[in-house]
Formats: sequence, C-alpha cells, structure tokens
Amino acid sequence: MNKHKLLGGLLILVVVLVTVWVIGCASNKTLVTEKSGAQLWGENCVRCHNAPSPPAFNDYQWETIAIHMRVRASLTDEEVQKIVEFLKMAN
Amino acid sequence: MKRNALWMVVVGLWLVMGFSQNGLAQDVASVQQEVKKLKPGLSRFLLRGYAHSGFERYEKENSFVGGSFNPIFLWQQSDRLLFEGELEVALEHGSTTIGLEYANMSYILNKRMIIRVGKFLIPFGIFAERLHPRWINRLPSNPLGFDHGEQVGPAAALGAEIRGGAPLGASKINYSIYLINGPSLNDGSENPEEAGMLHFDNYEDNNTNKAIGGRFGFLPFSSSALELGVSAQFAKVGNENTIYQDVGARLFALDLSLVKTIPSLKGIVDVKAQYSMTQVDDARYVDPENPGQTYTFKNENAAYFVRGTFKPAFVANTFIQKLEFAGRYSVLTLAEGAAWGGEKRQWAFSLNYWLDWRTVVKFSYQYTDAPGAEEAAVEHEEEGTPLGGAFLIHWSFGF
Ligand code: HEC
Repeated sequence: MNKHKLLGGLLILVVVLVTVWVIGCASNKTLVTEKSGAQLWGENCVRCHNAPSPPAFNDYQWETIAIHMRVRASLTDEEVQKIVEFLKMAN
Repeated sequence: MKRNALWMVVVGLWLVMGFSQNGLAQDVASVQQEVKKLKPGLSRFLLRGYAHSGFERYEKENSFVGGSFNPIFLWQQSDRLLFEGELEVALEHGSTTIGLEYANMSYILNKRMIIRVGKFLIPFGIFAERLHPRWINRLPSNPLGFDHGEQVGPAAALGAEIRGGAPLGASKINYSIYLINGPSLNDGSENPEEAGMLHFDNYEDNNTNKAIGGRFGFLPFSSSALELGVSAQFAKVGNENTIYQDVGARLFALDLSLVKTIPSLKGIVDVKAQYSMTQVDDARYVDPENPGQTYTFKNENAAYFVRGTFKPAFVANTFIQKLEFAGRYSVLTLAEGAAWGGEKRQWAFSLNYWLDWRTVVKFSYQYTDAPGAEEAAVEHEEEGTPLGGAFLIHWSFGF
C-alpha cells in the first residue's frame, strides 16, 4: 500500500521534472497581452480536447461556448476575449 | 432642340438612378429585416452533448455496451450568467435510466472570480471535471479508481463554488474553493461488508457538516503547455447521532497536464496524470463474520493514473493524421484491513481514429490484475473492473 503510494508519487514527480526541464529549455516569456487570439486558441483549446476549428460554430454559438469554457477550464478573461474575437473573425 | 434632348437625358438618368436607389434602399431594408429575424435575443440557448456505444470482450463475457446519450443544455442569460445542465440517458440491464450529471448556474462576478451553485463536477484533480466525457477520455474505460463504484475522490456534488483564473507574469494560475455536502461514511449498519467505505454520491447530507475543498492550478510556461494542480477536501463523514459522527476524512490529489506539439515528430504529445488519496479517521466497525465483535483498520485508499497520447496531426498523409495512439497505466489501492480492500493494476492501450474533432472510434486492449489477491477477494470485485484481458471497441460522438 505505502509502496504504491510512494511509487505513484515518484512517477508523477519524474514526469513533472522531465517535462519542466524539456519545456523550460524551449519556452519563452511572452505575455498574454502580446499574443494574438489565434495563438492563444492554438495553445489553450487543445489542452483538454482537440481544438475545435473556427468554422465549427457561428458567432453566437462561440459566445456561449466561450463562457462555458471560461468557467470549466478557468481560462483568464483576457485569453477568452481574444480567442472569441479570433474565432468570430475566422469562422 | 439639342438643349431639350440633353435635358431629357439628364432627367431620364436622374429618374433611373432615383428608382434604382429606391430599390437598393428597399433591398437593404428587407435584408435588415431578415437578419433581425435570425438574430437571437439576449437570452441564448445552446444544445450540445455527446453519445457513445461499443463492444467489449472480457474473459468471461462479451457484449455490445453503452448506448448512452448525454445531452448538454447551456442557457446564457447575459454575458455574465450561464446555466449548464447535463443528463445521461443510458441503457442499464435492459432498462433506460436517466441521470442528472450536473445542473448549475455560474455568475461571473468580476475578471477573476466566478461563483457557481448547484450540482457541479468537482475539481478534485482533473479527471472528473475535464477528462471524463467519452469524446475527451482517449480510452474507452476510465482509469481504476475513477469509475463509478470504485471511486477514490468525488466526481460531482451539490454545493457552491468560487473559481477563476489569472495571469501571473508570463505564467498563469487558477483556483477553485468549494463547499459541498461531502462524502458519507458507510458505517456497516446496513451492509457490514462495506464498513469504512466512503460514498461520494451524497445528495441528502447525512450530517450537518459540509465538506470544504479546492484546487489550485499553476501553468508555469507562457505557452500554457504544462499545468500542475493540487487539490484537497476535508469533512466529517459519519452519520449524525451515531458513534461515527466525529469521523473525518481528508482527501488529497495531485494532477499534471502536458500538451505539446513536437515539430520533429510532426505531432502532438499529451500527458495527463492524477494521484488521489483518501484518509478516513480510525473507527471500530462490527465484524461481519462475528457480529459480537468489532474491528478497525487503517482506512487509507489511493488511486493514480498516467496517460500518454500521441497524434501525428501534422504528417502529410490524411489517413495517418487522424490516428492517435494512447496508453495508460492505473493503480487502485484500497485499505488493506477492510473487507473491500485490495489492490488492482491496469494497463490500457488504444488506437484511435478521429472522424472529426469530437468523433472518434477507439480500438483498445486492457489488462487488469489484482496482485496478491485471494480467489475470494477477486470474486468480491465483481462490482468494479473485471480482471484479466479485455478488448474494447467504442465510438463516441460529440455534437
Ligand atoms: C481545462 C480543459 C479545457 C480547456 C482548456 C478547453 N476546454 Fe472545451 N471542453 C472541456 C470539457 C471538459 C468539455 C465538455 C463539457 C461537458 O461535457 O460537460 C468541453 C467542451 C467544449 C465544447 C463543446 C460544447 C460545450 O460547450 O460543451 C467546445 C465547442 C469547446 N469545449 C471549445 C473549447 C475552446 C474554443 C477552448 C479554448 C478557448 C476550450 N474548449 C478549452 C474542457 C476544456
């Protein structure tokens, strides 16, 4: 029991460290305000499911979905505004 | 004469232009009318959801399964107020059941704070809230310890919550703090075999004590590729006015999500992991085999999974683009001294074919074993995931 807890914790720790290291090497420090809606969409909307493409929904539908995702995914207000603008422009 | 002719041409032109402008104005007005007819009001409604079914072959049985259909209703009353409700209409042992997955109202208080009340998915880790829908879960089954009946940690509950997200330099954080009815302790009075178990579907609270919990998420990189989360929940779980009323439970979880496009592999790598544990205070329960006696055990339970997927989304071949490879390892460890205790491990692999962003067919093999379990204990597990190898073919359709 304790052995497995330890193993579980260790496994997660290893995954964390490796990923932090891998991305740490390749990441930059761009702020959300400096990013385009398209980039924010590409970075955020794939994190849980495949990213829906802009033509999947119309402007009104995107507005409702944006609130739904803002709540569900705890996205920041700034990100959501920019992403919705992009989706409504590109659909 | 010449002058008259010129005048006539000018007047003629003026008339033609006037008429056509008139026509144009009329056209514009009628288009405006049509557009107005289509424009939704401030109160908006969106019906979405998903469906799934499949075929499963276990060592002792094989069957077409599922046939569930989950409509999701979204009502947006303003740009701050949203209602979300999900039903699960499913076939269970030949009859149709309807379950309420969630029904809650969210109000955006300000940029950083959303308040939510009702029945909602609990952000205890990431599986229940973010990964369980059939079209999001990359494997046909849930990890051990994250399925109905053998759950370590809550999935949905009635209560109130405050949540939000904020940038922190180039990083981001998000948080949730909630108050819910909380789990209830099975003290064995009805079913001695289950003494010490926590039940998470506690919709009419068994005591006046509410559970308080929350999750804190941190996305260190500006690309949002990595998210790390910690969750905790505390509550008294025993039935009121019994010797168990002061028995408390502490729940903890850690989660990780990493999604990254790897240009050299022409694809997207996605790693998700969660570790959950529950600790229940020691208590003495009636021995099912010896009703005059009581016994106790260290009531600690844990479950974790690590899931990795690779989707070669950027290769030239359009068939290969739609494929995805998924693998998952999960372990469930239930309190050793309990009648329901024991350990199970599972490997699961899946080859997925995506017909669109939310429609997928999954061809999967999984192997579950219970190391060190005696025959009797294995038989007892009939509620949860069957042991041995299994082929599962599922499709799920999001709309
Ligand atoms: C933290 C995880 C997460 C992130 C990030 C996320 N989603 Fe979702 N999304 C979900 C979940 C979970 C559901 C399923 C909701 C359900 O079934 O209850 C969903 C459902 C959807 C749906 C289906 C319709 C609906 O509202 O249920 C759309 C469309 C969608 N997401 C778009 C997006 C877009 C666009 C983004 C980027 C701004 C995004 N998602 C980011 C988790 C996420």
